[in-house]
Amino acid sequence: MHPRSSKLFALMALSAAGWMSLHGPARAQPADVHPIPQSLRVEHDETIERLTMLAKRAGPVGAEARAALVVFKRHAAREQEFILPPLTLLPLLADGKVTPDMAWAVTMADRVKAEREQIFEEHTQVTDVLNALVVAATRAHDKDAAEFAEAAAADSLNDIELLEPTVLLIGDYLRARLPAAH
Amino acid sequence: MSGLFTRALVAVTLASVLSGAAYAADPAAGKSVFQSTCGICHSAQPGANKIGPTLFGVVGRKTGSVPGYTYSPQNLAANLTWDPATLDKYLEAPRATIPGTKMTYAGLKDPAKRADLIAYLETLK
Repeated sequence: MHPRSSKLFALMALSAAGWMSLHGPARAQPADVHPIPQSLRVEHDETIERLTMLAKRAGPVGAEARAALVVFKRHAAREQEFILPPLTLLPLLADGKVTPDMAWAVTMADRVKAEREQIFEEHTQVTDVLNALVVAATRAHDKDAAEFAEAAAADSLNDIELLEPTVLLIGDYLRARLPAAH
Repeated sequence: MSGLFTRALVAVTLASVLSGAAYAADPAAGKSVFQSTCGICHSAQPGANKIGPTLFGVVGRKTGSVPGYTYSPQNLAANLTWDPATLDKYLEAPRATIPGTKMTYAGLKDPAKRADLIAYLETLK
């Protein structure tokens, strides 16, 4: 291949790769979907995986795990939809960086504020089903399952004590720092 | 007229007595309610805080007063004493009694179960 052709080919390949990296993920999911912090994604995935395994069991532990799985999945989906994504901006905000394309987080924070009592109600449902799982696991002398459910309930309190108030702060901070249009 | 009044008074008194009898609290049943409802967040042991504060000695103490537990600002400011009447109201609807409390519990709607639970809590001392 001629050196110039080879350079041109390389340039085209790089451009294509760049376009794919920019547009590939956007095509995979709707443009208005924002990720959540990876640490929380792992936490959600692990909880769902553990509940799914327990749900396969026969008897009361399996039954309570199945009930908990339904409630937790519903709550996790709402958290991933609009409660947790603004937290991905924290590293940038901590560095003092605010850009207009962060306005989506204000919209999400406003929704969290508007639905705060409903979100709290969901946490009560999560605690209830996990409590039922602890009771069933304790009766079955399944210490691991009981400890897992207690830890999952602690995560729920973490949302109330830390994550949701932080999202509201992010919304207020962005509203103060972004141009007036937002 | 006076006979009618007397009969009404007797009926009301009887209803009260029967109602009282229906809600005679049972600490043993309350322990079961505690385990199935509160146990994931609260212990009954002294000094053992979990997601929620220990409920050992809860009856008679002030809100927001357990050492080593981080309360919500609303609970700290509530300035209530956990007597049976206050506990009954709180356990029925926690967020209505202390708005902003972080206790993730919707409330125990059955008055008999609340009475049993409070009777059990009274034994934790």
